[in-house]
Amino acid sequence: MVYNLGISRLDELIGGIKGGTNIMMIGPPMSGKDDITNSIAYHGLIDGNATVIVSTREPGKNVLDWFESRNLNILMEHIGIVDCVTRTLGFGAPETENIKMASSPVDLTGIGVKISQFFEHFWMEVQLRETRLCINSLSTILMYSNLQTVFRFLHVFTGRIKAANALGVYVIEDGMHDEKTIVTLKQLFDGMIEIREGEDGYQMRVVGLTPKPTQWFDYEIDGVNIILRG
Amino acid sequence: MIETGIPKLDGYLHGGIPEGNSLVYYAYPGVDGGVFGMQTIFHAVSGGRCGAYIASSTDPRMIRDQFMEFGWDMGESVFADRFTIVDAFSGLIGADSQERYVVPEPDNINSLTQCIKQVMEEMPEPGIIVFESLSTVMDLCGEKETLDAVLEWNKYAMLYDHVMVYNFTAWPYSEETLLQVKGDACNSVVSVGGISEKVIFGWYFGLLKLDWAEMIRKWVLFKILKPGGVRIYIPKILVTGPFDAGKSTVVHALSNRAVSVDRLGTTIALDHGHIDHNGFAADVFGTPGQERFDPIVKLLSGEAMGVFLVLDSANATGFARGVRMLEITESFGLPVVVIANKQDLPEALAPEEIKTRLDIPESVPILPAVAADSEGVFEAFETLVEMVMGVN
Repeated sequence: MVYNLGISRLDELIGGIKGGTNIMMIGPPMSGKDDITNSIAYHGLIDGNATVIVSTREPGKNVLDWFESRNLNILMEHIGIVDCVTRTLGFGAPETENIKMASSPVDLTGIGVKISQFFEHFWMEVQLRETRLCINSLSTILMYSNLQTVFRFLHVFTGRIKAANALGVYVIEDGMHDEKTIVTLKQLFDGMIEIREGEDGYQMRVVGLTPKPTQWFDYEIDGVNIILRG
Repeated sequence: MIETGIPKLDGYLHGGIPEGNSLVYYAYPGVDGGVFGMQTIFHAVSGGRCGAYIASSTDPRMIRDQFMEFGWDMGESVFADRFTIVDAFSGLIGADSQERYVVPEPDNINSLTQCIKQVMEEMPEPGIIVFESLSTVMDLCGEKETLDAVLEWNKYAMLYDHVMVYNFTAWPYSEETLLQVKGDACNSVVSVGGISEKVIFGWYFGLLKLDWAEMIRKWVLFKILKPGGVRIYIPKILVTGPFDAGKSTVVHALSNRAVSVDRLGTTIALDHGHIDHNGFAADVFGTPGQERFDPIVKLLSGEAMGVFLVLDSANATGFARGVRMLEITESFGLPVVVIANKQDLPEALAPEEIKTRLDIPESVPILPAVAADSEGVFEAFETLVEMVMGVN
């Protein structure tokens, strides 16, 4: 079971990501992490994977709109979104086939239950054996819960990703957390997508999934595709 | 006693939770244990008790909506004087609260304790206090501090004869903490777990601790229905029997929804139905009855937890074939209930008469039914469920 990020140059260098891998994506604000995360989810759908996105910053409907508004040739029934925002805002939106509601980013129990429900649905009912979990973002969760609590939560769910031979991508804002937080969380991941600000824009590289870190690549976001230069 | 309203659990608790006692629903991460506490407080309040729900990770405005998703209208005016939400959430996100009881500093255990004691003192009669998530309190206030507070709250509740119920998610806390939650912290512990392989695909509950009566060690599969709440779940009940005994009619009479693969009214592959009755949910699978389909019958019977043998009470020539079908399905050893169908026909034999003509163990119950009119089928279902639970 091998996954691709859908970022062709990086996929060539990595040579496929084996099932059960957990990746931290860390980068500064405004560097396009939302689009990169959605792009990774989109390419999973193209590859026939199920995708579960935990949204802690955008209402689930906005995330779904990202996919729907681009007229992508994907099966929408393969997307599950855990919305941690809408009910925090006091809106009583009902759950739909694509969107399950967690009470708030504090409600790690509820978030965990909804992730598990989507995993069970895709595995048992839709019979999909390859699943991607994208949590966007851990930084919001860390605003409401302490590091130890978030570590416990991730310890359980990175383990579930391994057990299910799935792919986990976890987004974190660079510069928002102290060194100890990042170092502590790093222990849970197999690799990282690092993003930094370069001279002509933002750059990314992959660490931990290849024998040596890849070089830094300038990139641009073109619709659902991430194009590397250099 | 305050009943939980969770099917079977009150029996295991010997009637419910005695006043002044405490119970923790100890759920494994990813398993929806929260509904147990919600169902318990709804059952208590709708039964005339007072109840307070400590909201620690949900906006109180959303709590009533969450209850409504299960069909439990906690906003009903008759509940207004008996049901209270203690807002231990809004303070975390700096939001205003409209609730009567608000914990100003939810991440301060003393602030929470002060509010909970006030609720206990002001409750007009012995009632129930349910924590939405003790683990969230623990995450915010610390493991030791929370466990010390639980002991203090439980003692205080004893003074007023209140019942304390905690939803707890067993995240990887320290071993000492988990042992204490399962051990000394409360009078009883109900484990709510998941059956997992690659993913969690089934749920169960059972008692881990009970200190007011003898503990019944049984594990029960369950499903969560919206609306409905916790339902005991039996994944597979087999309905078999000779040709034209009324197996498909039984499946359809029992089921909220059912489909049959048939030709000209004769089942040629299977019937499938889903039952939701009296706190129990089950999937039923009906077999064909004709001998030429016997290979399919054997395939269908795997992993059944209980069996209905349906007989046409007016056609004794089919009885031997019925017993033969129990052999084909390898059902001996499983709980079996014989449904003596078509009791409305003039030549129908009484269940006692059928028993004398059947070569099956004496202990197998034979119950009368007219499946076409839905008569007797639910009594048969309840009997089989009791037998399945007994084996479990």
